[in-house]
Amino acid sequence: MDSDEEDFVFYGTPIAREDDVTTSRKKKSVAEASGQLRTLAPWKQEVRDEEGRRRFHGAFSGGYSAGYYNTVGSKEGWTPQTFVSSRKNRAEVKQQDILNFLDEDERAEMEGQSLGTSSQFDTFGLTAADHARKHAEKEQQKRPSAIPGPVPDELVLPATDSIGVKLLLKMGWRHGRSIKDSHADVAYDARREGRKAFLAFSANDAKTQLADSDPIHDNSENYSEQHASDDVRSSQNTPVYVLNPKQDMHGLGFDPFKHAPEFREKKRSRVSDNRGPGNKSSLLLKNSLFGLKSGKAAPGFGIGALEDFDAEDEDVYGSGYDFEETYVEDIDEPTKLIMDSKQTSVRKEPGALSGFRLASNSDYQLERFDPPVVPKDFVPQHKFSGPPETSYKLGDPGPPEVPPPQDNNLKVLIDGVATLVARCGKLFEDLSREKNQSNPMFSFLVGGNGHEYYARKLWEEQQKRGDQTKLQLDGKLSPRTQKMTAEGRGKLLGERPLERSSKDSSTSISSTDAIHLQYNLSDTFTDPSSYSEMPVVAKPFINDAAKQERFEQFLHDKYQGGLRSTESGRASHMSEAARALERLDFEVAAEAIKKGKWSKEISTSLTGGMEFTSGGFVQAKDTQAEDAIPKEVHVKRTEYQWRPSPILCKRFDLIDPYMGKPPPAPRSKSKIETLIFTSDSVKATKEEETIIVKRDSYHIPQPEPQGISKDVADDESGGEVEVENVERPVDLYKAIFSDDSDDEEDISTPNEVNPEKKVEAANTTLNRLIAGDFLESLGKELGLEVPPELPSSTNKTMNSAPPKEIANANSRIYNTYPVEEKPSSTLNVPHASREIVQDRTSERKETVNGNLMGSSAGSNSKYAETASLGNHVDRNSSEKGPLLDRKFKTPSRRHRSSSSSSSSEDESSRKRSRRHRHRHRHSDSDSDSSGDQRDRYHSRSKGKKKGSSREKSSSSRSHSKHKRRSRDSPSRYDYSPEKERSETKRDKHRRRE
Amino acid sequence: MSVSDLPKKEGNVLKGHEGAVLAARFNKDGNYCLSCGKDRTIRLWNPHRGIHIKTYKSHGREVRDVHVTSDNSKLCSGGGDRQIFYWDVASGRVIRKFRGHDGGVNAVKFNEYASVVVSAGYDQSLRAWDCRSHSTEPIQIIDSFTDSVMSICLTKTEIIGGSVDGTVRTFDIRMGRELSDDLGQPVNCISMSNDGNCILASCLDSTIRLLDRTSAELLQEYKGHTCKSYKLDCCLTNSDAHVIGGSEDGSIFFWDLVDASVVSSIRAHLSVVTSVSYHPKDNCMISSSVDGTIKVWKT
Repeated sequence: MDSDEEDFVFYGTPIAREDDVTTSRKKKSVAEASGQLRTLAPWKQEVRDEEGRRRFHGAFSGGYSAGYYNTVGSKEGWTPQTFVSSRKNRAEVKQQDILNFLDEDERAEMEGQSLGTSSQFDTFGLTAADHARKHAEKEQQKRPSAIPGPVPDELVLPATDSIGVKLLLKMGWRHGRSIKDSHADVAYDARREGRKAFLAFSANDAKTQLADSDPIHDNSENYSEQHASDDVRSSQNTPVYVLNPKQDMHGLGFDPFKHAPEFREKKRSRVSDNRGPGNKSSLLLKNSLFGLKSGKAAPGFGIGALEDFDAEDEDVYGSGYDFEETYVEDIDEPTKLIMDSKQTSVRKEPGALSGFRLASNSDYQLERFDPPVVPKDFVPQHKFSGPPETSYKLGDPGPPEVPPPQDNNLKVLIDGVATLVARCGKLFEDLSREKNQSNPMFSFLVGGNGHEYYARKLWEEQQKRGDQTKLQLDGKLSPRTQKMTAEGRGKLLGERPLERSSKDSSTSISSTDAIHLQYNLSDTFTDPSSYSEMPVVAKPFINDAAKQERFEQFLHDKYQGGLRSTESGRASHMSEAARALERLDFEVAAEAIKKGKWSKEISTSLTGGMEFTSGGFVQAKDTQAEDAIPKEVHVKRTEYQWRPSPILCKRFDLIDPYMGKPPPAPRSKSKIETLIFTSDSVKATKEEETIIVKRDSYHIPQPEPQGISKDVADDESGGEVEVENVERPVDLYKAIFSDDSDDEEDISTPNEVNPEKKVEAANTTLNRLIAGDFLESLGKELGLEVPPELPSSTNKTMNSAPPKEIANANSRIYNTYPVEEKPSSTLNVPHASREIVQDRTSERKETVNGNLMGSSAGSNSKYAETASLGNHVDRNSSEKGPLLDRKFKTPSRRHRSSSSSSSSEDESSRKRSRRHRHRHRHSDSDSDSSGDQRDRYHSRSKGKKKGSSREKSSSSRSHSKHKRRSRDSPSRYDYSPEKERSETKRDKHRRRE
Repeated sequence: MSVSDLPKKEGNVLKGHEGAVLAARFNKDGNYCLSCGKDRTIRLWNPHRGIHIKTYKSHGREVRDVHVTSDNSKLCSGGGDRQIFYWDVASGRVIRKFRGHDGGVNAVKFNEYASVVVSAGYDQSLRAWDCRSHSTEPIQIIDSFTDSVMSICLTKTEIIGGSVDGTVRTFDIRMGRELSDDLGQPVNCISMSNDGNCILASCLDSTIRLLDRTSAELLQEYKGHTCKSYKLDCCLTNSDAHVIGGSEDGSIFFWDLVDASVVSSIRAHLSVVTSVSYHPKDNCMISSSVDGTIKVWKT
């Protein structure tokens, strides 16, 4: 290229291409800017874009950017932290917390302020754990341990028990025990009983399960198995780690049955088969009831590997689908093999290793203490030591009425004593009698003077107190003394009771609930109430006298109530397993007796083989229990509104019943309310119209000169009017801040610029002069305020929707103030407050519409125009200047001020008419070129008049409402016209653009 | 129909399900039947010849209900995996899966035109799904129930659901209203009489109740069976003369519709009878049970 260029000869200067120029300029500007940036002091530096312009964010987001020296530290501003991780450079997990963003001093401040629970109220032991952890960490820093890294949370436990644990321990809870509520489920209890029996079995004969007899072991075992049987779930909140003796040679933590818990059972039973003398494990296996519940997953088909194993997978259908007896011969079970090989030698001492002898008494025998003997005459029913007089009958007529004794002192004394006795009981009477034996004043206590009166008085007092206490009792005590039924609980919790259950709860208490309760209480206390209902004790165990005796004792305990006691103590010679089994039998038998269905075959089967199969057992109970309940079901039909979705209707080939109707309010929000609202809003809109008519009927419809004239002007000459709109703000400020004479001159200058406007102004002034009452109106205006609102008629010309909306809003607000709706409400003081409320609503609407700016502009323009009308108006508007300022601060205040200024006299009743009159005049003078329009309104108002009168005569209530509305309406229209004007203005702007 | 016409003789036994069969349903004309169960499959059978035709596998958990369109072209099914599957019968492929239930799906039904699947869920809601569009969003969610919805019936204009909250609610699309009939007992299964005037509601207090649909009057109660904890179906014979219901002890009960007397009861299965379905025309019935079998009963 270079060599080529050398050959050419260039004449003149080459014309740079257009884009070259711009780019070069750009570059230059950028270079300039950057140079500037470098040279300028940091606070003077500005951010410029590629074009070299200052960056502008907009007025509301900070104006011009001032560079990032006074904003943020980077060119991009705040950048979100991006996650970057590559193979070589692994991203670290950064734990951000508030401390990362704080300065040193702030951090110090924070440290002091951190909140924690004091150990006293440390319910969950969190703070204690935290302390302990910190301590451990500190210690670790001092002397690094073998395991590096932070201390795991699990290792550090709170030094003290939390208050919650303490409380629980106080209440009798022990570590490892589940905190579960009573299961009302009968089947559950039966299952539990069964499990108990089973556990007892295995404790009896299995050496492998040493700690089996304890529920703690149950928990821990289930832990290792990770099963979700329902009772385990409830106990999972208290993990307690009980050491299981390691008896196999698997690795630590290895569980060969982890995924096949069924086999664990199998194996266990096999082991016990081999060892246990006279075991009944076959029964265990057959019976699904006795089988370990946790193993009962739906057979055959597990769930996916990723899905968790929860209660849903439990086989609710309780099997019936049997497995083939598949054995897994686990070879790596040396203990078992050893057992097998040594079996012959061990035979004599079953369950003992060679070289060991069985202990004569097992360590695992539960030590039992006999509970205290309950006295025979003890009634396990607590009588509340309330006022002792509650027991007497209220129907008792009491001693006859006796005139009070002559002695006034005595009377007072008797009265006092009677009250006290009534309050404190008979004891007080005795005491005072004893004390005042010698005192003749107290002779009425022993039958002397005034005894009859005393008796009567006492009775009366007691009557009084009785009523009170009865009330109290009704309120508080009676439900407590009653059994807490499901219904009662539901009621307490605010649940809706089911139809039937609420009806015959009284009958079911006696039968089923008693049973349930007994099940629930069977461990600790039993319920005495149904003992009387206990049928004649059948003798199911006639063959075995001792057993029968025990059974009777069992029944006695069961129904007599009190602490469960002697049964276990007496039968202590029996093994745990046998006892549990027998107890199970007894339960069943008692249940059957209870049902009155004690048939021969059951008894024989009981005494014979004790083969209560699970299914039959549960089932029989259930059906019988059900039969005991009389049922009277009444179907209650309730009808609701329901809205099918349009597409559903379409798919069902039906016509949408709600087609075209507005979407309903959410149903939960009580339909009645919404109904009220809708009806009211409809009414309100109607009223709105009538009010408008009424207002119109009072005076010649007076369109606010501003809006109409502008409209007209707009009609006449679309283009020019906007110009004045633009310039008006200047006028306004002048109108406010300068004096009158200045105004006139200043105003005239813009008018000169715009001849059209001048003409218009001239027209209006002319019209005013022609109207004749110019001066008068001026005077009025000085005293009053020019009502800033447009008459409603303009509203109506615009469109009907906004007023309706307003009406809606209003009506809603009014519904929340029902107190104020007095039928005879006239224009008195309380209305002021309502007006304010009213005003707020309109204000709220305004803000919602986001028209504040626009409306202010509108008002500005309005005032500007009035200013342009001449001197008097100017004064007027200047007077209104501060008012205007206030206007956009607080709407309520604004309204109050405007209303107060509108009525210099405080005869509020006349305010309205005055204003109307004034407006009338105003309209006469003001409304200029809109004569024809006025006529139109006039005629319309006439047409509507009839409707309004009809409305008025409808009812007093609605009438009053009308009044209210008619009073409210000005305040509402306070804003809307401005808004509308601004809207029209914006419209115009848009059109111009 | 006399008592002797009741299908009490055991016909074919349809075996194939591994585990409990949760529902068995005749198709519209009664030539085929569908079953679904805990083994996560849906199976199509010819009950009259006793042959297994097809297996539909896709569900992630147990399938609790299945329904087939009247033209036998599509299936819908729902189950514990909270999804409703919309199947093509011939190819056995899932056309669409509707997700949205927050709990297991207890029942599914097509509407008459097979354009909408209505499902009832453990999440206390009824949902309607559009089969015509490709949207998998429910076109309607009815959540006025206060407990698990167990069963649905559809008419041309109504959706009827029975719930554990003890109510049978009728959602009338044409009128735009909901009628809630409170029985006071958890409703297990509802089934409509063939004349469409009554609803048979199986309640968890071992009672089947017959409701008049227009007046919500309790017409009759049928007792004798056991229904305490399982979802057991009940149905009416095609002549509406008898009420049939399964029992938890494995027997099937026949009641006279009018006087509610137990006309007959047969020892049908080894375990809980989950479902009974009556042939739309013939005197034939199928029953399914937890024991994994479906039995066909003939007169």
